[in-house]
Amino acid sequence: MTSEDPARLIEAYYAAGWTDGLPVVPPSEKSIGEMLSGAGLLADAIIGEIPGRNTVVTASKVAINAVLAGCRPEYLPVIVAALNGLCHPDFAYHGPASSTGGSAMVLIVNGPIGPALGINSGNNAFGQGHRANATIGRAVRLVMMNVMNTRPGLLDRATLGNPGKYAFCFAENEQDHPWQPLHVERGFRPDESTVTVFASNSLSQVYNQLASTPEPLLTGVADTLYHRGSPNVKGFNESLVVFAGEHSELLRKSGWSRRQVQRFLVEHARQRVADLKRAGRLPGDVTSDDETTWRHAFEAPEDVLIVCAGGQAGSWSACLPGWGKKWTRSITTRIDRAPA
Amino acid sequence: MTIFDPTASPVPRALRLPARPTRLDGLRLGLVENTKFNSDTLLLRLAARLRDKHGATVALLSRKRSPSHSIEEGQIDALKNVSDLVISGIGD
Repeated sequence: MTSEDPARLIEAYYAAGWTDGLPVVPPSEKSIGEMLSGAGLLADAIIGEIPGRNTVVTASKVAINAVLAGCRPEYLPVIVAALNGLCHPDFAYHGPASSTGGSAMVLIVNGPIGPALGINSGNNAFGQGHRANATIGRAVRLVMMNVMNTRPGLLDRATLGNPGKYAFCFAENEQDHPWQPLHVERGFRPDESTVTVFASNSLSQVYNQLASTPEPLLTGVADTLYHRGSPNVKGFNESLVVFAGEHSELLRKSGWSRRQVQRFLVEHARQRVADLKRAGRLPGDVTSDDETTWRHAFEAPEDVLIVCAGGQAGSWSACLPGWGKKWTRSITTRIDRAPA
Repeated sequence: MTIFDPTASPVPRALRLPARPTRLDGLRLGLVENTKFNSDTLLLRLAARLRDKHGATVALLSRKRSPSHSIEEGQIDALKNVSDLVISGIGD
């Protein structure tokens, strides 16, 4: 079909089932070509594969979806790196993409590309209002639907899903950071840019306006990370904690290291086996030993991903439970920008 | 302006299906457990029924890395070597 009427084209994309429910930007040969040039890619370049689905992700399809999502061409390298992450064997795409848990694919951008593209890391970092955050996250989800065949009701079996499935992309606030940013923690140089993909089916904001030392603040975080309704109570979680302004400042002033924070959370994010059994989260009858046996959420400090983002004002942070590191792992990928 | 198709179909792979067994009597079973709660329990109960009704035996219980991961090629080879019939499970 061809038309000069944008409204008719938008309706045609709806009718074909190619949107996420929001209107799309109809592509043209010109806009697709400009999008590809944003990452210096040829149309037939292979971005990634998911063997279990016989899926091959090509640059041309990624570019079309990026235009549909409303991206600018310079966003494409971030999208490509994020898709590399989704296709990584350790991400194990099929589970987090298809499970009834309904995970969002959280994209955490680090390095100089974040400010350069205007990816919000400050006020309302998870919310609306910033084109780069909204459209990069949206493009990845459209590729999942249109290229990776992750369609609701078919290979996306989310029971409830969550709003982050439309788009969930933010940059880490690397200014006034208590520690080094996530990508440096993971072995990249500060001047490199990366995107980390992390599957999470929910987001809980943690409030604490009275804590003046790390322990009471982190106790609330630990409670939020692991409770009787947590997605995974098997004890091998990987979860994301996002500290915002006032809380990250408290931690910075305390002098606690990232590793101290992680160790505290590993130690305190726990439940009694008896309580998990009574809640129907573990099988079997409650024994006397179960009353004094603790099951911890995490096996190791590095299982707690810590980043900083959000506004300076307000006593809020956030916890995003993962899926379980034996089933999927967060993947950090370097973003290769197009040659100048 | 033209409509541009943003979708891609799975790239077909040539697969050859073995002939289905016509009888269950005396078959060697391969079980693929995906590590979900009760996956092994359900599969072993099913195998016990096949044993009681048809004399089937469990030749190999293979465990996947996780429900998310595909079964490894080596596991498939091992199953092919010792099984007449393979049962995998489970969903939610």
